[in-house]
Amino acid sequence: MSSVVARPETKRRGANLAKWISIGVPSLFFGAFFLGPLIYLILLGFWRVENYRIVESYSFDNYIDIAQNLFAGSNYGYAIAQTLYVAATTAIAAVALCYPMALAIVFAVPQRYQRLVVLLAVAPFWTSYILRVYAWQVLLARKGVINAALSYVGFNEASIEFLYTQTATRIGLIHYLAPILLVILYVAINNVDRTLIEAARQIGATRLQVLWRVIVPLSRTGIILSLSFSALVACGDVLSGSILGGGAGQSLIGKLPLFADMIIRAYTSSTNLPNTAALAILLVVIMLLILGVAYWLTERFRINVK
Amino acid sequence: MTMALESEMPRRRRDPLVLLGRGYIAAAFVFLLLPITTLIIFSFQKNQYASIPGQGWSLRWYEKLFSDGALVAALQNSLIVSPVAATGASIIGFFAAYAIHRYRFPGRNLLLTLIMLPMLIPALILGIAFLGLLSRFGLEGKWYSVVVAHIVLVTAPAMAIIQLRLSQMPASLEEAAWNLGATEWQSLTRVVLPFTLSGIAGGWLLAFTFSFDEFIIAWFVCGFSPTLPVSIYAYIVGSADPSLNAMATIIFALSGLFLLGVELLLIPILIRVKPGATAEEAPH
Repeated sequence: MSSVVARPETKRRGANLAKWISIGVPSLFFGAFFLGPLIYLILLGFWRVENYRIVESYSFDNYIDIAQNLFAGSNYGYAIAQTLYVAATTAIAAVALCYPMALAIVFAVPQRYQRLVVLLAVAPFWTSYILRVYAWQVLLARKGVINAALSYVGFNEASIEFLYTQTATRIGLIHYLAPILLVILYVAINNVDRTLIEAARQIGATRLQVLWRVIVPLSRTGIILSLSFSALVACGDVLSGSILGGGAGQSLIGKLPLFADMIIRAYTSSTNLPNTAALAILLVVIMLLILGVAYWLTERFRINVK
Repeated sequence: MTMALESEMPRRRRDPLVLLGRGYIAAAFVFLLLPITTLIIFSFQKNQYASIPGQGWSLRWYEKLFSDGALVAALQNSLIVSPVAATGASIIGFFAAYAIHRYRFPGRNLLLTLIMLPMLIPALILGIAFLGLLSRFGLEGKWYSVVVAHIVLVTAPAMAIIQLRLSQMPASLEEAAWNLGATEWQSLTRVVLPFTLSGIAGGWLLAFTFSFDEFIIAWFVCGFSPTLPVSIYAYIVGSADPSLNAMATIIFALSGLFLLGVELLLIPILIRVKPGATAEEAPH
């Protein structure tokens, strides 16, 4: 059949045009406007500012400055610790909340409605994240909707201080993450072979045992993916931390800002771009470490079925 | 298998665990929709501060929104930036998807990685990187600086959808065009392009949504012509008043329309992943 096809390679002009444009346009654009800024960011981290001008001389000054300010002065180290703590707890809470929902969609909703339920659950993802964060501020404020509703139904004492704590940060992040995690976990649980579940039931496993011994282990790739995705988003996010966490929000480990929030503040107060670039690169390194852990976990718990 | 499960349904319906599961789904939907409904309700309430019970219905915050003008001006900025960025992303995404679908060339995987990477790197990092390079050439703070940065960010989702659509195109379609004497360029523009049009439209919508919602990159590079999220941020940090709720309601309505468009365009593409099943859709 393919012998009949006249490959247009013979018409060299047309062939070249289609090939060069379709490869060239994206390559040039991403080379110039993506690779360019990334390389520039790395270079920028080694430069410094003198008299409000960037001086292109290479040194480790910015990194030495950051190292000296880890646990003194700017306290970057504590902010990194807060970020890691909030990211880890957010990831665990998000998966712990979304997994039962995905489970319920797969096993408690008739098959023909499942796609509709997932579609509806994903709907908030398509609306503005910053407006959803703002809505949580309205809801969680001391005189906000939730406290007002509580006192309206008679709990006058219940004026809960949610806003400007890292709990509020986590709520905002989980609300952002939930639609995405639901899709990942729904697909993971839906792909668990039903015959294995039936078989486990036949040989007398309780439903809890089926969940714990069959469904959870077989959907663990989705769980690990969700955990690492949530942790990475939480590390890089700015909006929840600064609007809901109020900058230095209270958490179990103290009233400390998130690292991403600190980068923004460092830039607005100093407009020292080289120093900001060095901080950004440190954030990238932290996130690469998280990715490394996620990769190690996936390899360690690789599914060996089939 | 499925049949067995379906026949089990009547028994399962009275199952307490199933009821518990459905209750949990209902509770989750309350959590997911609570913020959106709150803003919509309070945009139509007289009170300055969102509290319960409300003080009656009114349109005063909509009047204030349009008489203040700051948020509306930012919305107008966004309605220039995001469509242009989405169009750029769709064009680049189409070429990239076709190049990767059709040709084997050195750096093919590198190109794919370069396009996908901006979605994985935190926007905060990208924002600082864009600001660095653009300010070096004095290009920061212009409306098109946000456009360029956003094209880099949102080409990935546009390309992903177009790739999916391309994978549904029977190879015989292009071969037939060549046999009839079309050059590669002619078959690209007259056969491949019309076939992928629904994918391009879906990718455009996705790219628009991501660009329209993007905050931190725009915050770094927009200068004095803020996009809507940047302006909303300034509003929240400053003195938020309920005219923001009015703007939120307008945005939610727009998102609803877009969601409808995304569903009409994307779901058919996503559901039918098998190639070759679409021969009847050959363009005329």
